[in-house]
Amino acid sequence: MNIKIPVSWLREYLKTDTAAKTIAAYLTSSGPSVERIEKSKEDYIFDVEVTTNRPDAYSVFGLAREANAILLANNLKSTLNPPKGLDLNLDPDTANKVGLDVLVTDYKLCPRFTAIVLEIKLNNSPAIIKNRLEKCGIRPINNIVDITNYIMLETGQPMHAFDYDKIEGAKMMLRESRVGEKITTLDAIRRDLPKGTIVIQDAKKLIDLCGIMGGQNSQITNRTKRVVFFVQSYNPVSIRRTTQALAFRTDASARFEKGVGQESIKAVLSRAVYLAKKTAKAKVASELIDIYPNKQEAKTIRLQFAKLNKYLGIEVNPAKAIQILTSLGFKTTLEIAALKATPPSWRTKDTIDDVDLIEEVARIYGYHNLPSVLPTGSPEPRLDSILTKVINLKSALKLLGLTEAITYSIISKELLKTTGIAEKDAVELTNPLTEEWQFMRPTILPSLLDVISKNQNLKSNIAIFEIAKTFDKQKTGLPTQDLKIAFALQNSNFAQIKGLVENLFETVARKPTFSKFKTESTLAEKSQGAFVSVGDKFVGGIGMLKSTAADYFGLDTNVAIAELNLTTIYNQPPAIIQFRPIPKFPPVIEDISAIYSVLTPLTDITHEIKKASTLVKKIEILDIFTGPKLGEAKKSVTLRLTYQMHTGTPTQAEVNRERTKITKTLETNLRAKVRK
Amino acid sequence: MDKKISKILSDAQLKLAQVQDSKKLNDLYLDFFGKNSHLNNLTKEISKLTRPERPKAGIAINKAKRELEKLYEQAKSNVKGQLLSVPIVDPTAPGKKQKIGHLHLVSQAIEEITDIFKKLAFSLQSYPEVDWDYYVFESLNMPKDHPARDDWETFFIKANPDPKMGKQVLTPHTSNGQVREMVAVKNPPIRMINISRCYRRQIDVSHTPMFHQFEGLLVDENVSIAQLKGTFDFFTTHFFGPKRVTRLRPHHFRFTEPSFEVDVTCDLCDGRGCRMCKSGWLELGGAGMVHPNVLKAGKIDPEKYMGFAFGWGVERTISMKTKLPDIRLFYQNDLRFLEQF
Repeated sequence: MNIKIPVSWLREYLKTDTAAKTIAAYLTSSGPSVERIEKSKEDYIFDVEVTTNRPDAYSVFGLAREANAILLANNLKSTLNPPKGLDLNLDPDTANKVGLDVLVTDYKLCPRFTAIVLEIKLNNSPAIIKNRLEKCGIRPINNIVDITNYIMLETGQPMHAFDYDKIEGAKMMLRESRVGEKITTLDAIRRDLPKGTIVIQDAKKLIDLCGIMGGQNSQITNRTKRVVFFVQSYNPVSIRRTTQALAFRTDASARFEKGVGQESIKAVLSRAVYLAKKTAKAKVASELIDIYPNKQEAKTIRLQFAKLNKYLGIEVNPAKAIQILTSLGFKTTLEIAALKATPPSWRTKDTIDDVDLIEEVARIYGYHNLPSVLPTGSPEPRLDSILTKVINLKSALKLLGLTEAITYSIISKELLKTTGIAEKDAVELTNPLTEEWQFMRPTILPSLLDVISKNQNLKSNIAIFEIAKTFDKQKTGLPTQDLKIAFALQNSNFAQIKGLVENLFETVARKPTFSKFKTESTLAEKSQGAFVSVGDKFVGGIGMLKSTAADYFGLDTNVAIAELNLTTIYNQPPAIIQFRPIPKFPPVIEDISAIYSVLTPLTDITHEIKKASTLVKKIEILDIFTGPKLGEAKKSVTLRLTYQMHTGTPTQAEVNRERTKITKTLETNLRAKVRK
Repeated sequence: MDKKISKILSDAQLKLAQVQDSKKLNDLYLDFFGKNSHLNNLTKEISKLTRPERPKAGIAINKAKRELEKLYEQAKSNVKGQLLSVPIVDPTAPGKKQKIGHLHLVSQAIEEITDIFKKLAFSLQSYPEVDWDYYVFESLNMPKDHPARDDWETFFIKANPDPKMGKQVLTPHTSNGQVREMVAVKNPPIRMINISRCYRRQIDVSHTPMFHQFEGLLVDENVSIAQLKGTFDFFTTHFFGPKRVTRLRPHHFRFTEPSFEVDVTCDLCDGRGCRMCKSGWLELGGAGMVHPNVLKAGKIDPEKYMGFAFGWGVERTISMKTKLPDIRLFYQNDLRFLEQF
């Protein structure tokens, strides 16, 4: 959360000769970060990022307190001047004393409630207040409303002012809202309140959406003569739930959501009265109301110097540590080898353990003052996950001409439909951002087809892949989250995608087997696809895009696709290649052409040849074609056979004998017609 | 005999004169000096000559052989000379490249980052993207009412909550790997990096609902902020270049104490301050000393061990290097974008 503060205002509490830019640099390195410095006439405006655990620093005085501690630790001159009027005597000082009847139904909603009634003269604020508010981005309204905003910026504690005479029955009851209650806030918007919102009602109506914005019905107007000044702390969780449910945040709620300290609330009210006396001729018209049943406790924390030094990597002078904590408002005592510190009231929430004290000392000491060294020692060697191998695989695929896409792992209902997996069997989000991103995808393929579809008018022969975790719902427990790789090749064919997958398996040193599809797939054509296995493990499939899927994505069917489960593949042992002696004698190479049934798989042909002849050491496929001349359902296959022996080059007679055996086998076992 | 020899030589001269490439020249070598060459055949004829004629013929044949060798060598160097002088290349014309593809920018960055941290003995691990609330929030010292645990900021999965582990969450950061790694390794030292897809409910110029985060965790007996600084300096020097410097700024995270934000000097203005940066610095990521409660959740004794952790968005790091103006470009998968890198 960011806050803009004029440096001239900061200097009201921070008395130092240090230049604005230097203050900003020190704040950034040791406290809240000054993200930008703007020049505004004679002044500078700091735009400061304050972390959510430090609502106390989300104010001009809070930042002055931080800056003071940091400057002192860096041996620069600085003193902190608190705002005036923090402990006024708040007894009534008018004859027309009035009452206000307050009931807090649950102290958990509001741990401390203070209020006081003032007689005032409504007017414009003095220039100094108006200028400061404007520099902070707040529009001045009148002296009373301006005080509430001024106090919030100055101290970090939001406050509110009601018109006392609009509070019916002079009664306030703070409670949780009931179902169906509504309130019109100061911005003239009627809001339906979620049940359990903290609200205040008077004798008849709701008058405050607590911690967020006051009700329009009790707002300060030109006619206002008496006001209720009102300072509280609220349950931060409750405030946050309401702002979320209403999608409505204000400067006040931003502070209450983070939790404001309870101890300083009375002082803040006193300060507000002080300002009202100065700018609105205020007179106290009621007794002070201060409902504070459970006093906020501060825990004393012990910090060993040895631990401090270990964290910082240097020896810190105990006196320095004490000085730093003291300058931040901690009460400290020195012990042997340790210190004890009690946080100030505004820091009890975020300083609980010794490590919290270490942070305070370390940051004010200055991270820039610590050395920079590499970690020592060496861990036990630990095997990397398969992601390391995936990095190498990606590089190999790139060199094979493929481009990597990274698409969202969350897909739409429509895209899920293309996978054939039912919605109830998919991993679904309870709170999707849009319908576009609703399911965790079980397969990457539809996303890649979508990419090709979107790019098809820009490029031809698109060849892409993606590697990502995929999500398979389980009956109990987390979804299975295997790493998969998917390919999509435009203007391609079955042989190309198979070749690519074979290349992949050579890269990862596993041996795949390909078999015909046994089940229907929604994406690949049954007659033009294959299952892929490694050992006895199914790892995925390859094939040509089905026409129904092609229609859906607006593509041609000449898109080749493949998806493989890398987790399963890498879990299979790598194929170890053993040495084969390099042949000493040249081989004899011969081609053999034959006509087969189109249904005869090539693996059957090569299998029969190897069975028939032990001299055949290598079989290459030269040509496969079909045509009307061959007869119906026939194909011609030309193979190149390498005959080789380790005792010498085979003689023509030996080769002839082998060829005869092969021909006979092919003719009898596969009904082939061998060309002679 | 002499006539035959001179015929052979003149024929050879004629043939050599016609030769233009080295392949034909090689063929001629066999023709001239091989088993069945004319000169070799003449040698066989020596035995048919009278005894006194034989030495003379032998000398003449040898002489012819040497002469032929000379002619051959001459022809060879001529051919070579010709070869050198014939084709003139234009070195500015484009070469014939093999078609290669492109890796996604995110993958390139992951590879670089992993390589750098491997040198410091960090091992690369992988943890679930859909994980239990316990690992994502609870064990990381995040209170039940922490805003990150709202369904405004984080995606949840439709599934029955586990009585111990809570709801299933789409990880909004990689820190779910912290406690999982501690439990897996059991006894420190631990040095882990974890890179993963992460998911948050937001989309704008600098946010996409899915992004990549990178996380490092080191746990040991003596771990200091000084070592965290050293580790970051090592990284930035190798990733961004030796001129870039890092700094730690105080920050707040639930799972670290102290917590920092890590900045690196802006390369556009060399740290002097410009429109693109915050007073000369660019935010790199978050870091801190592992909170004792997180160590406890990982079954590690916080009295004996301590550690640091850091994490940042990979896309952000890339945009800092490549001046990419809109993070959404990463996931539009326009090939004209993907093929730039």
